Order: sequence, then C-alpha cells, then structure tokens
Amino acid sequence: MTALLEVEGLRVRLPTPTGFATVVDGVDYHVEQAQVFGVAGESGSGKTMSMLALLGLLPPGSVVEGRAAFGGKDLLRLRGRDLRAVSGRDIGMVFQDPMTSLHPMLSVGRQLTEHVRRHLGLGRRAAAERAEELLAQVRIPDPTSALHAYPHQFSGGMRQRIAIAIALACGPRLLIADEPTTALDVTVQAGILRLLDGLRREHDLSVILITHDLAVMSSIADRVSIFYAGRVVESGSRASVLPHPRHPYTRALLDALPHPEAARDTPLVAIKGTPPSPQQIPVGCPYHPRCPYAIEVCTTDDPPLAPVNGRRLACHVDPFDE
Amino acid sequence: MSKPALDLRDVEVVYERRGRERVRAVAGASLAVERGQIVGLVGESGCGKSSLARAAVGLVRPTAGTVVFEGREVTPLTRRARARELARLQMVFQNPYSSLNPRRKIGSQLADALDALDLAPRRGRRARVAELLELVGLLPSAAARYPHQFSGGQRQRIAVARALAADPSVLVLDEPLASLDASAQAQVANLLVDLSRRLSLSLLLISHDLAIVRHVADVVSVMYLGVMVETGPTQPLWSLPLHPYTEALIGAVPHPDGRGFLPEALPGEVPDPARPPAACRFHPRCPYAFDRCKQEDPLLRRVAPGRTAACWLQTGSGPPARPAEQAQRLPLLHTEE
Repeated sequence: MTALLEVEGLRVRLPTPTGFATVVDGVDYHVEQAQVFGVAGESGSGKTMSMLALLGLLPPGSVVEGRAAFGGKDLLRLRGRDLRAVSGRDIGMVFQDPMTSLHPMLSVGRQLTEHVRRHLGLGRRAAAERAEELLAQVRIPDPTSALHAYPHQFSGGMRQRIAIAIALACGPRLLIADEPTTALDVTVQAGILRLLDGLRREHDLSVILITHDLAVMSSIADRVSIFYAGRVVESGSRASVLPHPRHPYTRALLDALPHPEAARDTPLVAIKGTPPSPQQIPVGCPYHPRCPYAIEVCTTDDPPLAPVNGRRLACHVDPFDE
Repeated sequence: MSKPALDLRDVEVVYERRGRERVRAVAGASLAVERGQIVGLVGESGCGKSSLARAAVGLVRPTAGTVVFEGREVTPLTRRARARELARLQMVFQNPYSSLNPRRKIGSQLADALDALDLAPRRGRRARVAELLELVGLLPSAAARYPHQFSGGQRQRIAVARALAADPSVLVLDEPLASLDASAQAQVANLLVDLSRRLSLSLLLISHDLAIVRHVADVVSVMYLGVMVETGPTQPLWSLPLHPYTEALIGAVPHPDGRGFLPEALPGEVPDPARPPAACRFHPRCPYAFDRCKQEDPLLRRVAPGRTAACWLQTGSGPPARPAEQAQRLPLLHTEE
C-alpha cells in the first residue's frame, strides 16, 4: 500500500534578525489512507512548522528543503496557483483556536460556501446544500439555522466543529489538525476526538493530529512520531510506542502526564530544563542536556533515527530496551 | 475542627446585562478551604467557577452569601485601600502573559508587590526578591530579565512568586495549568503542592481538568451551572464518583496508555446560565434522569462520610454506589422513601 503523503528529509529554516534558525531538521514520515498520524512534542519542537511547510504557509524568506509526495506531486515544489489547487482542495487544516481561524464578521454559511464555490465550482444553491450537509456531518444541531449565524454565537466546541466543517468542505483526502482540542474542556475534547475518529472510519479521511498531549494522541492515532528540537526522536505504532516508550524523551513526556489509572500517589515527573531554542540546539543529541541517561557519546554525536523492532528510534543509549 | 481559612457560604454572583436577561453565574455555592489544604474546584467553561474565584478574593461583589477570610468578611475591591489583612488572600490568573507587565523587569515587578504593602525595607528588598524567586525554583538572576525571556511555565512561576510576595495564607489560582505543556504543567503542579506543604499555604485550585486536579488536590468540589453538584476527598471521589456529572468528567479524560481508549463525550453543551433548566440543572444531559429530576431541584447533601452530592439517585441510605448502579435500583429507592 502506498502512502497518501510521504515526507522525506524535510528541513525548514526561518529568517531571524540574527540569521537563519533551523526549526525542522531532517524529518521523515508518511501518512496512510484513512489513518490518524499523531505528531507530539513540546511547544517549539517544530511540529507546526513542519506542517505549515507542506501548505506553503511559512513566513516569507523561509527556506524549505526535502520532498513531500502527495498525489503524485511534490508539495514542496508547487507554487502559487498550483499549490492552492492542491492544498485548498485536497488538504484541509484546523487550528487550535477556532476564533482566530473563523472570520468574526461573516456568517457561517458564507464561510462554508466560499470555499466550495471556489474550488469545486458549485452554484449558489448547490453550495448552500453542501454547507448544510457539512454542518450535519460535524454534528452541529440545527444546521439550517446555523448557516445564518455568526461564529461568536457558538461555544468553543461548536466553533471547532464549524472550523472542521470548513476544512472538510472540498472533500479533502488529508486533514491536518493542529492542537484541535487544546483550548477545549475535556468533555468537549472527547466529542471532537470522536468526530475525527468517525471521519476517518466513515469517510476514509487521513488525519495528521498535532498535539502536545500524548493522552489525546493515544485515543485516536494509529501511528505516532515524537518531535524534539525539530527532529523525530521516536516513531512507530501507537500500540507499541505509548505503552513501551524507548526514547528517554517519550518516556519523560508520559511520566509528566496525569494517568487516570495510576495510583494517586504516583508523582508527576517534570522534565528538567526547557526545550532548546532553534538558535541554540545543543551539539550531539539535542536532548542530552535534559536526559538522565546521557553518556559521553550523546554530547558529541547526533544519533540517527534507526529502525529497531518495528519502530524507529534516535538514541545512543536505548535505556528501555527489553 | 478549627475555622476554615477561606469560607464561602451560599455565594451568588449575578451579572446584569443591558437590554438582556441577567445571568446568575453562581447560584448559591458554598466552599471551605481549611488551613494548609489544597481544594480543587472543577467544571466545564461557563459553570461559574471563575466567577466564584473572583468573588472569593473580592474582585466581584456577591449578590448574596458571604465570603469570610480568616474570620474577616472579604469586601469587594474599591478605590480605597483594602484592609491590610486581606492582602494575605492572593490570586494567580490563567495567563501569565497578560498578568505580567511585558516592559518591566521581573525584579521590579516583585519589588512593586513588596512596596505596595511595605513588606520589605529598601535595603532588604533585593534579598527578598531573590528569596521569592528561589521559592518558585528560579535563579535570583531572573530578577534582571523581562517576562518574554521566560517560557510559559516559568512565567506562571513568576506570577506565583508575585502572589507570594504578600506572604499570603491562601492562594486562589484560576486555571494556572491550562495553557502549559505537559512537562511545564507537571512542574507547576508539583511546585504548588510543595509550596502548600512547606509554607502551610491553603490553595483553591480552579481547573477544568480533573485528571491533574486529582494529583494535586486534597479535596475536590465539582461545579455545574452555578451550583456544587459533588464534593469529597479526591481519591474516593475519583474512584467512586457519585454524581453523574462527575462520572462524565472522569470518563472524558483520555488515557495515555496507547490502548486507543476513546473518551466518552457528554451529550449536549453547558446550557446558557441565563436560562438554566428547571429542577436539577443537569437533567437534560444526564443519562439517568427520571421524573423527579425534572420536577425538583436536588440539594447538595451528605450521602457518605465526607461526601456530598446533589442527585436524586443518591439517597444516602445504604452504601454509596455509582450512578449507574443506583439507577438500576431506582424502583427500590422510591419505595424506600
């Protein structure tokens, strides 16, 4: 089975007042049809930038290298109209805060129809029907009246559903969801996760789920990649990586989380220090200054992401090898 | 038992809105924070937990009920200086980006807090600032830097340090962990527990995330649409929730174990607090609602040692049981009454 999206050697450099900062440094991954691919890491680990690069949404002056094969084309080589033709129709994106991605002054109907009229060439009436159908698909109660309402009239969870409806408007094959539930209550978050899971099952949609919360990722992702300092440190199937993390960073992210089934006395273990800024990535393994297992070689050589027992791991020590 | 450090009794907060109906954000809620205790207050957005927090420190005037801090009634903030004793009741907000001044150094902002209360003579100020930073796990050199030079978690710790400047006995924290990464969240959560134990500081921790509250709080109050629906010691409440809403909050928590557990979504949304449902406010979303829930408002009452719940399923007769079990025994419960 060939992957829907195949990214190889993705490298993103952003212009800063003091020269270029490498925010994504040689990332490989692939997304299969009707699968949820989870990307996790702390803020500043390059998760979002590596997605924006695919859509040509990086700040001006950014330099992108690598390859991103999607539907027989390399997204990183497309420009302007050609890129919009693919990214506007076949890839949808949802962001953390629906209030900033929805236009506050335009009705929900207008924001939904604009998209389908432009990319699918539908007429006014057909577009309105499609919009209503989309709102029903994301389970907005009373879609007909919702079309005439404005974003502020909805709750945070409903707004995120509307943002998802807009992203789905042109029937994309890939949905990129960047922290789609971070700003929401857990009860509402559960609804959005169930919605994404249903879209994947019923509509064969592929989803890239970007999150800092491994628990969120654990609920719907099929495969996961853990990002640190602009690179992938561990990747594999959800069912293998999350119960048995092998990279000290993946392990640390899990230990920091409250675990619903753990005894209450299990302390939350914070990772010491903070993630490095892109201008000051440590030499050697970028995680070594925070890693309790680091040895000499970690301070000098950057470990490659190498296959081990059905997953890929970038660690010299591999302290949790079984 | 001695008097609680902070005692909220039947507090009601009503917001008047021009040309629209008034909103009763807090509709008669009580809460007590004992000395040195960590109390978690949880609920979805719009449940009134932030309004209650604001009433607790005097940022809004309750329309009914009383707020008593160390034996003294908390009066709403006015232009006039507030009683000095009330400075020992401090608040930390969700977003440290907006509660810290971006254009002033951390040291000056902490010194301001000391000056406002004449807490440190000029000579001792620098040492006290260093001490405050150390308390929250930062280096004294942080004083010379600006807020933007810190990560979100560090900024939240600075906000805590500023609150500690007043040498408080009670800290009210409104979603202090919400905008942080998992690791930073763990750091701040551990710091709060540590501070509470070391300084015998009482904490009222407001959060929508019951999973993190469970690791931090000694007791938990669950709020829904302006009222408390369940209270109890953290561990029993988590392992045996008695109110269907508490059960729903726990079921919605995702598990990071990689087994693909899909969290349960609570149907519907928090209703408009301006027009709360009649009788039990939770009944339109409750999977176990029966006739009585639509006719009579259940009061919060003691249903087991240390546990209270506002639910017609929990009669208090017999050992406490999950809402689902109680619902099965419902015909029986009716005949008992």
